[in-house]
Amino acid sequence: MNTKKICMALLFMAGTSSVFAADTPASLVTSYAAEAAKETPGFTPSATRGNNFFTREWGVSHKMPNCTACHGKDLTADGKHVITDKRIAPVSPAVNPERFTNYKKVEKWFKRNCTEVIGRECTAAEKADFIQFIIQEVKS
Amino acid sequence: MKRILVWDIPTRIGHWLLVTAFILTFITGDSEVQRLRHVAAGYSVAGILVFRVFWGIAGTRYARFASFMFSPREVVAYLGGLLKGKPSHWLGHNPAGSYAIFTLILLGFATVASGIADYAEVGGEWMETAHDVLSYTMLGMVIFHVLGVIVGSLAHHENLVRSMFNGYKQGESEEAIESGKAFWAIAPLALAILASLLVFIT
Repeated sequence: MNTKKICMALLFMAGTSSVFAADTPASLVTSYAAEAAKETPGFTPSATRGNNFFTREWGVSHKMPNCTACHGKDLTADGKHVITDKRIAPVSPAVNPERFTNYKKVEKWFKRNCTEVIGRECTAAEKADFIQFIIQEVKS
Repeated sequence: MKRILVWDIPTRIGHWLLVTAFILTFITGDSEVQRLRHVAAGYSVAGILVFRVFWGIAGTRYARFASFMFSPREVVAYLGGLLKGKPSHWLGHNPAGSYAIFTLILLGFATVASGIADYAEVGGEWMETAHDVLSYTMLGMVIFHVLGVIVGSLAHHENLVRSMFNGYKQGESEEAIESGKAFWAIAPLALAILASLLVFIT
């Protein structure tokens, strides 16, 4: 393989990876809201609902009753996993710019965490509300 | 032909411990609540495999790696015979099965290594994907292994699953292993448990 081909391959990889990581918190809210609007016409994301969602005790998991059990109440601070004691990077994109920039990753963690904490997968409406809350919390 | 001992006790115990630990890793893999159990089961898999490598060198005749090193040509010949309905018979692992065993051992170590890296938060998303791909490849290999056992059992009219429980197969008396090495059964068990305890210090 010559140098030109290697460069082309690297450029291609860089190009595709930037496509995958092109999401922003705002763009995710928009797409989740659009999905939610299919079920509920006129749906608009609500930071208040997102806040309630984040702190609500679901009564499903004893050790992880709500999101804040691990993520903490301060979105800009580190969280701590209640089972493993491991540090969890802050949820807020303001202090942790990697957050909510990769749809696949966001979906993976919503699925994993919603299933255990809420007892089911989260709806698009809940996801839109939650990310809206994260964004507004940062601004305020 | 008579009933002879082929699989020693540590090999059998190690095999079923590995089955158990492997199933546990899959049951606990998608859970944060079960995260520590997942890690402990993963360490167990590695511990049992460490024993298997040791036993592949120091074990009894059919457990030793040297007894089931086959060339790809022998695998093709074996599978060809199987397709013709006239597979050659092997008391230990057959040529196709042997590759499943070696692949499973390597995949097991690689999967645990990537899992350890994930748990230490080394390697980021790439490592998470690697762990997923490796574990599902291993699951695929396990399915291939089980299918091979079923096909082999039918083709040779012998119950290979039962042999992995009681250690016996039909063969000539001079082909039998001399001892079940019961004493060594403690080794896979101890390694499985000790390895799982690593969860408390990592």
